[in-house]
Amino acid sequence: MVAGDQPPKRGVTPSRFGSKAKITASAGMQPRVSGPSSAERCAPNPGDRPLVTVVCDAGSSVLEATHSFLTAYAASRLRSHVVQRLSVAAYELLANALNYGSVTGDVVFEFFHARSVATIRVSNEAIPARIQKLIEHAARVQENAESAFVEEMRRSVSGGIPHPMLGLARLVHEARLMLDVNVVDRRVVVSASCSD
Amino acid sequence: MSKLSQVKAPTLETVTVSVEAPSTIRWRGTITTKDPGVDLAGFTSAAHRAALDDGLAELTVDISELTFVNSSAIRLFIDWAMWVKDSGGKAYKLRFTTSRRVTWQKTSFMALRTIAGDVLSVEHVD
Repeated sequence: MVAGDQPPKRGVTPSRFGSKAKITASAGMQPRVSGPSSAERCAPNPGDRPLVTVVCDAGSSVLEATHSFLTAYAASRLRSHVVQRLSVAAYELLANALNYGSVTGDVVFEFFHARSVATIRVSNEAIPARIQKLIEHAARVQENAESAFVEEMRRSVSGGIPHPMLGLARLVHEARLMLDVNVVDRRVVVSASCSD
Repeated sequence: MSKLSQVKAPTLETVTVSVEAPSTIRWRGTITTKDPGVDLAGFTSAAHRAALDDGLAELTVDISELTFVNSSAIRLFIDWAMWVKDSGGKAYKLRFTTSRRVTWQKTSFMALRTIAGDVLSVEHVD
């Protein structure tokens, strides 16, 4: 489906993704960065083209197929330990977007690899309460990833409410990825990056 | 015949689980299904009960070839450790066999040891 460094043809729709999901070569989607300097380190440059793009509805069932595809694609161009790290990001970020995103806008999943940095970026619409919770949780993770990770593990034990948010903690603590969360109006853009 | 050997292993597309008498359960593959508890919690629960019935001193859970799990699947192993912990010393010890090459195992089981370290041990195959 995708070979070498060539981006996929625009509008390719693999059957396993279903009729509502598209893998496309986006023509340079501009990152809507509103945050401070960390965003500049983490987010792709405005001119960067994603090597993989999946556009789908919140709630659609593209998670496993996208994760599987991204993992295989990354394995074709990156070292094993980098692939493992990106694989976690691909799964957890897309799962969050599909589970908690609003149906009013598309979920957009992208993979970038430029200037020795690999990035998974997922964006979705969300309601303000969800956005606030995400921002608070991301701040907690970035302040002390290990502590947040263990805390989320403990929360899993109790089956606690709110729903355990182990995913973001995994990205930073387990996968050692640089996490960046930006919000423009109700659109949430989460990026996770690492050196290749 | 041991109860453990009679526990039916789950069949999922991405993961293979095998029960190897008398006291080893081996997991291979990946767990990416959205709610793995639906397919796998019944198995882990049955394996726990069987290990208790068999009076095992130790149960080895070899996950060294389980290369990816989602966050929900990590909970399966947390729950398992807590069942053993909640047995108040009457249960077996859980011995997880892991691989240093698999990133998720290093961090998850380090954290799990802080939660239930008294009932489990972690060893590495590499």
